[in-house]
Amino acid sequence: MDSVITTQARVIGALVLRETRTAFGDTQLGYLWAIVNPALSTLVLVAIFSSIGRSPAFGTSFALFFATGILPFQTYTKLSSSLMTAISSSRGLLSYPLVNEVDILISKYILIVLTYLMIVVVFFSIIIVGDDAPLPVHAEQSAMAFGSLTLLGLGAGTTNAVLFRLWPTWKQLESIISKPLFFLSGIFYVPSDFPTHIVKLLSWNPILHGVEWFREGYYANYNSIILSKSYLMTCAIVLLLLGFLGERLYRKKSF
Amino acid sequence: MIEFRDVRKTYHLKGVSKTILKGLTMRFPEGRNVGVLGHNGAGKSTLMRLIAGAELPDSGKIIRNVKVSWPLGFGGGFAGKMTGIENVRFVARMYGEDTERMVQFVKDFSELDASMSLPIRTYSSGMKARLAFGVSMAVNFGCYLIDEITAVGDARFKRKCHEVFETKLKHANIIMISHSEATIKKFCDSACLLHEGNLVMFDTVDEAIAQHRKNQLK
Repeated sequence: MDSVITTQARVIGALVLRETRTAFGDTQLGYLWAIVNPALSTLVLVAIFSSIGRSPAFGTSFALFFATGILPFQTYTKLSSSLMTAISSSRGLLSYPLVNEVDILISKYILIVLTYLMIVVVFFSIIIVGDDAPLPVHAEQSAMAFGSLTLLGLGAGTTNAVLFRLWPTWKQLESIISKPLFFLSGIFYVPSDFPTHIVKLLSWNPILHGVEWFREGYYANYNSIILSKSYLMTCAIVLLLLGFLGERLYRKKSF
Repeated sequence: MIEFRDVRKTYHLKGVSKTILKGLTMRFPEGRNVGVLGHNGAGKSTLMRLIAGAELPDSGKIIRNVKVSWPLGFGGGFAGKMTGIENVRFVARMYGEDTERMVQFVKDFSELDASMSLPIRTYSSGMKARLAFGVSMAVNFGCYLIDEITAVGDARFKRKCHEVFETKLKHANIIMISHSEATIKKFCDSACLLHEGNLVMFDTVDEAIAQHRKNQLK
């Protein structure tokens, strides 16, 4: 018999491939839509915001400023909402002895992160070429910010999945609670420009720290007064612990 | 082959508790085919899912040192949007089997031919069952779990299923749930009885059936 690790890796690999087929399997371009769809909706947002004639809150390219906010943000929200229902929508898979909830969550996480990574690369390439935007100064910082946000998303999504399993109403509630996050995550403004009492309130939102970190890596002189990497990491770790402990309690248990 | 160590399992649903196993310690005898008897709702299917590892116990341990199948004939893991071939490939990848060999086997066995390239949701229930049976026969397990085997297809296809199954049984064992005493007698050489949270092993099928009848009269 194979070791646990190789079996687990094989199962997750099989699940990732399966997911690319089930999500967009019956449409013409298949998995390509997974990339095109969010990319297009972001493009529309960029177009709307730039046509209003707003000058960017930072830098020279509005599209670039907006993209450095919306793309990390969307990666997080996609993870936290998709993972919430990932287990319940593939319950049938759990009847295979080899598959457990963690495999389902991890495979979905891998697929979403790869998808958004591709969107990020394509998007920034277009903006850099098309809008004459600068290249990232500390790309590795932006990458770490992106990575931390995906972990935050994994933690939130897993915690959501546990809550959703215990209390199905959570799905509706969560979508209401997370709506304002679009306005609270610094997507179309620079938080440091606000008065101190507002900055203090905003700094409770870990996603905002992820966006700030991403921008500080991208721009040469962004100088966020809010950014606390350790706060973002702490939130991510707490959610990951909560989520995966909860998952362990209810693993492979029907009611 | 399969060993239970102080395994407990209770369901709680809307304030109603149902105990399936209250601290079971037992070894399924090696090299024997075991039938599982019990009342409706005694938890036979749950026991099967516990053996498979599709469900975890509340406490205790289940040790398997053979490759145990999922409950046979099960097609719940198939994705309707995926074609038959893609579904077979998924199982093959998961179990580390050669994907193309497995697709070929299932194609030949299930006689689905061109339908293998269509999404599963277009299949009739008979076609789905044939695919599911083919997939479970394509993987070499050491122990097959059979939960109330339902007849698939016409007489000729049934015979074919039977033949494949017989060849599998030369190298593997089964654990089987059936309401038909005749089926259990045909495939099994021992049986156990699940009754009020206890699982008792009997040496012969006849003894188990006799006790099962006695329980039912109570």
